[in-house]
Amino acid sequence: MSNNNQAKHPTNNPFDIFIIGARKGFNIAVNNLVPNILMAYAVSEVLRILGVMKFVGEIFGPMMFIFGLPGEAVTVLLTAWLSSSASVGLAASMFANGILEPRHITILMPAFFLLGAQLQYMGRLLGVADVPKRYWPLLMSASLLNALCAMLIMNWFFA
Amino acid sequence: MSEENKEPKKSSYNPDEWKVGPKGFIALLVAILFFSGLLVKFPEMKWLSAFDFTTLTGKFGAIQATGKSTFVGSGGAGARGGFLFALTLVPSVMFALGMIEVLDHYGAIKAAQKCLTPFLKPLLGIPGLTGLALITDLQSTDAGAVLTKGLYDDGLINKKDLVIMGAWQYSGAGMIANYFMIGSALFANLTCALLIPFSLIFIFKFVGAIYVRIMLNLFYKGDFQDEQ
Repeated sequence: MSNNNQAKHPTNNPFDIFIIGARKGFNIAVNNLVPNILMAYAVSEVLRILGVMKFVGEIFGPMMFIFGLPGEAVTVLLTAWLSSSASVGLAASMFANGILEPRHITILMPAFFLLGAQLQYMGRLLGVADVPKRYWPLLMSASLLNALCAMLIMNWFFA
Repeated sequence: MSEENKEPKKSSYNPDEWKVGPKGFIALLVAILFFSGLLVKFPEMKWLSAFDFTTLTGKFGAIQATGKSTFVGSGGAGARGGFLFALTLVPSVMFALGMIEVLDHYGAIKAAQKCLTPFLKPLLGIPGLTGLALITDLQSTDAGAVLTKGLYDDGLINKKDLVIMGAWQYSGAGMIANYFMIGSALFANLTCALLIPFSLIFIFKFVGAIYVRIMLNLFYKGDFQDEQ
């Protein structure tokens, strides 16, 4: 999915091009989405059985209240920092368990990506682009700020 | 697997391969306990079951009301629940990426770049030619990172531009691809229009980059004095 796709496609037929994209989608879904969500469901099962979810929920309850979220939602945000797909999977499983409601998912939606996968992107983005390490904490604080502000806005206006 | 390509060893016995540290034995113990099913046998210590294979494999959801639930059913949990749920996402991801591929082919992304370019200098203080790298980042984090490095290596942007571009790309990296691929898992639960969180992510990419630009001007001023 780079910008010189026009040169790359051997065909001009939109149906064929659609197939190329759909095939990419299938590969990503099978290789990325399915394993990540499976893991997130298993991890959330561990957290649920151990009672970690409830404990974290009670501690962070007051803080998450600002964003109109239940305290347990903080686990989703912490996971987002490691991997967007894992956090989305976790949110989906918390929704299935009745911990999160559609309203909460709506508030969280922009945060999954604004905060998303920072750990991975340190290497894949900041490392590759050679952004000096000295500024990485600044960029991380910007991402965190973005996610918190976006959740506030979602809570006030859209959820 | 890669071992197969190596030269055949003279002796099948390699003492180094057979060295086992304490970690190995602990791992073996964990493996035995994990798969044994022993850990669910203590009703008074239910938390132990969190480390049991069968418990974490979970269960498929049950289809209770025909016509209401999909093949995912309700009440699924663990690996099985997650697998079936993930399968429901495959069609929407395939469809979204197919459409994006077609729209990209007809130049939608290039048009987006044209629209973005005039805002870069006044908002972020970076040259308009960075538009391509930034727009590319919306679709592919890796491709955007490579283009950004290219711009810096060719001397087209200075270090401060690089940091600001990094900020813009870092938060919400690969947002088009990620939002429609990963986020689609939760689209059915959104209580607002699909494009609202999406637009918000895009706007906050600028907010974050402007914040970084201000911080650089305030606290890191000395770093960039040797640049024009």
